[in-house]
Amino acid sequence: MMFVYKLTLRQLSGRWRLLITLLLSALPVTMGVIWRLIEGDARPDHEFEDFALNGMLAASIIPLVSLAIASAAFSNEIEDRTLANLTLSPIPRWKIVVPKLLGALTVGGFFMVISAFVTSYIAYSGDMTTSLAVAAGAAVEVALYSSVFVLVGLMTNKAIGFGLLYVFLWEGLLAGFVSGVRFLSIRHYSVTIVNGLDDRVFTEGEHLSFAVALVASAAVFVIFLALSIQRLRRMDVP
Amino acid sequence: MSSSNSRAARSNGNVAPVIQVERVSRWFGNVVSVSDVSFEIRPGITGLLGPNGAGKTTLLRMITGLAEVSVGSISVFDQQVRNNPDIYSRIGVMSEHETVYQFMKGRDFVKMMGQLRGVSNIDAAADKAINLVDLAEASLRSMGTYSRGMRQRMRLAATIVHEPDILILDEPLNGADPRQRVQFQKLLLQLADEGKTIVLSSHILEEVEQLADTVLLIVNGKLAASGDFHAIRAALDERPYHVRVLCDSPRDLASALVKLESVDAVYVDPDGAIVVLSRNVRDLQIELPRLAQATSARVWRVEPLDDSLESVFGYLVER
Repeated sequence: MMFVYKLTLRQLSGRWRLLITLLLSALPVTMGVIWRLIEGDARPDHEFEDFALNGMLAASIIPLVSLAIASAAFSNEIEDRTLANLTLSPIPRWKIVVPKLLGALTVGGFFMVISAFVTSYIAYSGDMTTSLAVAAGAAVEVALYSSVFVLVGLMTNKAIGFGLLYVFLWEGLLAGFVSGVRFLSIRHYSVTIVNGLDDRVFTEGEHLSFAVALVASAAVFVIFLALSIQRLRRMDVP
Repeated sequence: MSSSNSRAARSNGNVAPVIQVERVSRWFGNVVSVSDVSFEIRPGITGLLGPNGAGKTTLLRMITGLAEVSVGSISVFDQQVRNNPDIYSRIGVMSEHETVYQFMKGRDFVKMMGQLRGVSNIDAAADKAINLVDLAEASLRSMGTYSRGMRQRMRLAATIVHEPDILILDEPLNGADPRQRVQFQKLLLQLADEGKTIVLSSHILEEVEQLADTVLLIVNGKLAASGDFHAIRAALDERPYHVRVLCDSPRDLASALVKLESVDAVYVDPDGAIVVLSRNVRDLQIELPRLAQATSARVWRVEPLDDSLESVFGYLVER
């Protein structure tokens, strides 16, 4: 599995991909710095939480970065036809899918978790509990989106298009306005987990409990991982 | 041992088939790519011959388990291939596409492919495979700097690094220069002599003729002919050829040509060229200069009208 993992890291670490990810991950950090410069030692209010953490990081940057990286884990190999190098090997399919997903998680998660941690560390005046809670929420969100987008990358060569529709229509629009959709929203699982990990600063969500968010997150991750393995078993590899 | 002798030595119909394809079809929507194809492949070199778009690659992809069959069954070593990863420790596949990682050094690529296939002494195995394709000097360069022929050879090294019993090679000589072709052919003959089963696809008749013990001729997704290469060649030789002759007195020469036993029909086309239909082109080649001299015709040009591979395949399918 280590060969596939290392190969995936190398494939997903293209200069432009890393540069764009770095720039995107710097945006919330910049917001944290601006907040600190303007407000001095004042603790951030809900406006900062809604705009920088929920709106910018959780609703836009993490899903977009996860989409760009995780969907490419397989779709690039399908496009340049190198996937057959792996599938024509005497290794079970899960040993291809798991390191691919882990590779995507490593590349995307690295930037997103650091961005989340640094942003909240700056904004919340070095509050370690809050910073770790936000970082953990970011890690969960990257993991869930990655497991979804790895499957999308296996299913279609228009993964970015489908991913964008999903992120902005389902996660952004519908989950924002239709309360029932939040039970099936990765962003809301992540926000609920952050709220649950640090209820001193963040208020627990109205629709989901911490426990439900944890269980649902685990279920989404496992289900989409299993679907990806199944897809790789059944698909015609170019 | 000459190639024909070694070919004869390898040909052994009593040996159990290694690959069995039974009534296999594959369609994509309404398009039938492979239609009701059955054959068996034994150790030695089998050539899969057919024009571009005939269904060779689809067939090979089904044999290797990369693609699902719509109908029928395929077994390799009496096992199904699809969803049976363990079998790939005995199969080496080289697709027609350049499936290399441009950023990777040639040696690292071969090593990675060997490790994926469970080779234990990977350094020695990689060195052996790279030496076989004569690319040791370039092996520490990234493959993005290779020529197409070099990439093909390094891919072959990666295909044989785990010493598979079966080699499946889809258009392996594409992009190779003449010297590389000869080297490639020698290597394949050597591997076949070691008892390996090699399936080689090509759309070039001569390429297959030089290597294959057995030929499977695929046209329009169907198995048009199969068997010993000489039988296929004989079938090809039986077909009538159209030959166009340009000369200064076509009617006189045409009258003389039509009397030849080797000529089935002769006509003069509107441009004044003679078109000869013959089943014995060799005889025509000998007789034509003699008749031209006898009729005092000055011949400017003699050209085959239907010597493309497609027309050869077309003839075999229509028989």
